[in-house]
Amino acid sequence: MMKILMTAMKTSISEVMETMFYLPVEFGEEATLAQCGMDKNKPIMASRLKFTGDVSGSLCIFIPKDLIGEMAENFMGEAKGLLTDDHLSGTLTEMLNMVCGNALSKIDTKVPFELSIPKVIDESKIQEKEILTIVETFESNMAILLKID
Amino acid sequence: MSFSILIVDDSLPMRSVIKRTFKAAGYGNAEFREAANGKEALELMKNDWIDIVITDYNMPVMNGLELIKIIKKDDLFKDIPIVVVSTEGNDVKIREFMDNGAAGYITKPFTPETIRDLINNILGEASYDEDLDDSDEDFDF
Repeated sequence: MMKILMTAMKTSISEVMETMFYLPVEFGEEATLAQCGMDKNKPIMASRLKFTGDVSGSLCIFIPKDLIGEMAENFMGEAKGLLTDDHLSGTLTEMLNMVCGNALSKIDTKVPFELSIPKVIDESKIQEKEILTIVETFESNMAILLKID
Repeated sequence: MSFSILIVDDSLPMRSVIKRTFKAAGYGNAEFREAANGKEALELMKNDWIDIVITDYNMPVMNGLELIKIIKKDDLFKDIPIVVVSTEGNDVKIREFMDNGAAGYITKPFTPETIRDLINNILGEASYDEDLDDSDEDFDF
């Protein structure tokens, strides 16, 4: 099931990033957060969404704040200078919501999945040994962490 | 003809995107109202006339399905068409929205054409403002 879910998540990330944020992506190797190729000196924003259904779990996403700024600019059509932290966190959580909802709707289950409200989390709370999947954009990398309960 | 469109979504960026998408789809002359959840939407509807409600499903306080059920039980509001714009693409979930009175369903991510076609279908072709179709707004879905 983990493999099916991850495949669906990757497909949805590509769809959502291209359709709503105009940013094509490619998927890289798996690595810890420190090894994901994100600049350690620049802030990273993270969000988590839990899902329940035939299978329950969570999806976390880690994106450099600079990249979120570009995504929000493309998404909302507003100049970067006009975007507030609320716009950035809103873009982050909405992106995660779209990815998760879109991905889980591709999976054939007896009971429809229910999604929690996505929350912004402190990326420093993630365990150093957690293995994430790298998502590459032209500008910079981001990463996802899919967990099944 | 100008329409009053109520957008119900807890995401500020998504409300902004839906509004811009409507404008890009030819509804630039519409009046837009915004609410962050179903409860806020109901409060707003008590004071402002609304022609169509565009609602998300997954929201805190009151979700989109609860909102649909309340609107459809209200004699004053029951004829207002409601379109669900949500990430929930599961057939069972969509059927539940439609069975409770939703007039249409759009899955995120979406394109302006998807919204335009569905809204034209619900409100009628007359609602489409062709003059704004060539607007120079920087919005290139």
